[in-house]
Amino acid sequence: MNHTDKNIVQYKPLPGDFAIWVFIFAELLVFGILFISYAFTRKYNLELFNHHQQFLDRETGAINTVLLITSSYFVVRAVDAIKKNMSQQSARWLALGLLCGAAFVVFKILEFNEKFSEGITLSTNIFYMFYLCLTGFHFMHVLLGMVILAFILVKTHRRKYNADDHDGVETGASYWHMVDLVWIILFPLVYIIR
Amino acid sequence: MTRFAITSSTKATLIWLLLVLLTLVTYGLGKIGYSGTFVITIVLASVLIKGHHIIADFMGLRGTEKKWRWLMQGWLLLIVAVIATAYRYS
Repeated sequence: MNHTDKNIVQYKPLPGDFAIWVFIFAELLVFGILFISYAFTRKYNLELFNHHQQFLDRETGAINTVLLITSSYFVVRAVDAIKKNMSQQSARWLALGLLCGAAFVVFKILEFNEKFSEGITLSTNIFYMFYLCLTGFHFMHVLLGMVILAFILVKTHRRKYNADDHDGVETGASYWHMVDLVWIILFPLVYIIR
Repeated sequence: MTRFAITSSTKATLIWLLLVLLTLVTYGLGKIGYSGTFVITIVLASVLIKGHHIIADFMGLRGTEKKWRWLMQGWLLLIVAVIATAYRYS
């Protein structure tokens, strides 16, 4: 925000394409409803939720949180670099961000595999229904975010973006940060607090 | 008075460190197995701090029009407040 004179305040525009923000707000609305549904369903099934929550892998959850936060940080650095016209450096930061996203996917698949091998499904009980729906829905967003990141990585590497034209990088970055923001709430809600 | 200029990349690094630190605190509380209002308050406060920085600094909403900041931060605050209420009365 810049104060150009006493009365006029200049605000920054939303980063990236406006359409992605409409998408982000819609996604946050859906996740918000799921989080609230989880919290109130737990209220009426307290023992069941507290009992089954202790069998979730908190270590993997914490590692995945650090991976997504770190990935978001790398993407911030990529946007910063492209604003300075450093496209190859920006591409490197995006590649690191993508790598962290891939590590998240690997850990999540291992976690899902463990649960499925124990015979846990959506119909096991209401706790696991929420656990699989919330983490599975978020997992699909991670995959979509990675496709977007890969796309802008290739374009950045080919020098299609620069300091004056980098809306595509900011658009992809905004979506990726939304994926991170949702996990920041999901992890303590499902894995930690009781 | 001397003011220290901080670059955007240094600021991003410091925020990343804060986010990782708060994640470790959240994990630690879960690992120890403590529960109750005090732990829930700390964990949800940590969610608010982390979410605020992701929205303002990582997503880049700091300095944008108030309506966008209120929409995003308001969403975060609302979700955390409703979760806190549900856990407080369970």
